[in-house]
Amino acid sequence: MVKQEVINKNNDIKPEVITKMDITKSWITWDLGCEMSSSYERLQSVIFCAAMIPILKKLYKTKKTLSEALIRHLNFFNTEGVAGTIIHGVVIAMEEEKANGEEGTSNEASGEAITGIKTGLMGPLAGMGDSLIWSIWMPITIALFIPFAMQGSILGAIGPLVLYAGSCMSISYYLYHKGYYFGKESIITLMQNGKISELITGASVLGLFMMGALSASYVTITTPFTIKMANSSPIVIQKILDGIAPGILPLLAVFGIYFYMKKNGPRYTNILVAVLIISVLCSVLGIL
Amino acid sequence: MSQLGLSICMGLLYWVARLRLGYTISAMFLQPIVLSPIIGLLYGNLNKALIIGAGIQLIYLGVTSTPGGNVPADPALATCIAVPIALTINLDPQMAIALAVPFGMIGGLIDQIRRTVNATWVHMADKYAKDSNTKGIYLCAFIYPAIFGLILRFPPVFAATYLGHGVVETFLKALPVWLTHSFQIMGGILPALGFAITILVINKKSLLPFFIIGFFIVQYGKISTMGAAIFGICIAFLFTQFVVSNKRGVNE
Repeated sequence: MVKQEVINKNNDIKPEVITKMDITKSWITWDLGCEMSSSYERLQSVIFCAAMIPILKKLYKTKKTLSEALIRHLNFFNTEGVAGTIIHGVVIAMEEEKANGEEGTSNEASGEAITGIKTGLMGPLAGMGDSLIWSIWMPITIALFIPFAMQGSILGAIGPLVLYAGSCMSISYYLYHKGYYFGKESIITLMQNGKISELITGASVLGLFMMGALSASYVTITTPFTIKMANSSPIVIQKILDGIAPGILPLLAVFGIYFYMKKNGPRYTNILVAVLIISVLCSVLGIL
Repeated sequence: MSQLGLSICMGLLYWVARLRLGYTISAMFLQPIVLSPIIGLLYGNLNKALIIGAGIQLIYLGVTSTPGGNVPADPALATCIAVPIALTINLDPQMAIALAVPFGMIGGLIDQIRRTVNATWVHMADKYAKDSNTKGIYLCAFIYPAIFGLILRFPPVFAATYLGHGVVETFLKALPVWLTHSFQIMGGILPALGFAITILVINKKSLLPFFIIGFFIVQYGKISTMGAAIFGICIAFLFTQFVVSNKRGVNE
């Protein structure tokens, strides 16, 4: 065997056993820095590599093998940081297998297989996490506490911080460890489980219902417009609108903007300029 | 605290808010509803800060960084500039919301600069990995982005809070009544944008009637948000139990 530069002091190049603490250390690194170093070029690659350091240092004891492993984990990577953590768990299990495998034997997980698992799973898991964690759960948790803030209560700020961050961190911690203990099978079970699509649907129902309820409270558009009649009391437009259904104008505003974005994409600037122009026109004409 | 001290605090607060230290904690820390009470404590008006913060929050309710971490607007910049100015010159909440909007848009651009420059750390990490220098990779993941963040985030908020209130005050004094009124109208319409974006990101067109149910339950019944949440959870549960279980999910 060719003599290699060994990093540790007692000249032992055998991989150490991965403990629960190592995985927790890796999870903390990932959760802290998940978006900090994100770049357009390779998105979460740097933080994925950094999160693997506590693991790789225990597995690869020569400078050459450690360097190879670090380079491997600097490849392009991007997923949703909560649901996607199951990938990290699986990758840790595979790295352990690779480090312990005899070179050239069949039970050695190859570097390509590890990269393949990462790139193959990051997309589907990101889709799952984006829709559940970010598109539904986040607006709901914030929305629940807006009324407290409106009344000047500090609970409006503490509530979402504790509920959202607390729940998400528990899930990502759980998946990180789960991924390691159950390996590749855990992801297949998760992806094929019909419960996930049921959960997304149920959460979407709740999300839409809550957005409706909040729109009714917080979008405030009323018209002072009246038509003066020669010899009877004036016609108050708002009264007529309320007679049909209360809150027609706010509902029109929400759906108007929604269908515009559905058709043309989320063009924030266009909508803001349009809202500004409409507001000025309606103010000048006395419609709103 | 002096105006200079307050402005320094605000610059630092915006930096911390957009540091993204902690994946989901930082996602909450950049929300107006969480930032505004801190600003309120600094400026000695917690109550008003929370009310303005809640108003700004409504516009950005559905604004997330998905997919791929691109943020269309920056709620933190909007808050860190509009709330201090509103508290200094005693602006009414709807005017503060209208003031917040343009800064939210500028903030989206600032984040694009950050993510472009962050590519530099990736190339440095490549070199460190070759030498198996793990400490260097930690620096690339945490310290360098944080230092660059301070350079990028501190100056705009510091300048805006230090000089901004004077500019805004003179500007508002010169405004005719019809224009002030249009800003108030705009403040009433803008939350609709936040809700519309949330519907868009939930992306289930066939479930839209649930939005209308929620809307009119509150319009006719005048129930609180917590009350609505109780109804909503029960409806969502029943729907998945009896409808979806037989059909395996709803696509769009």
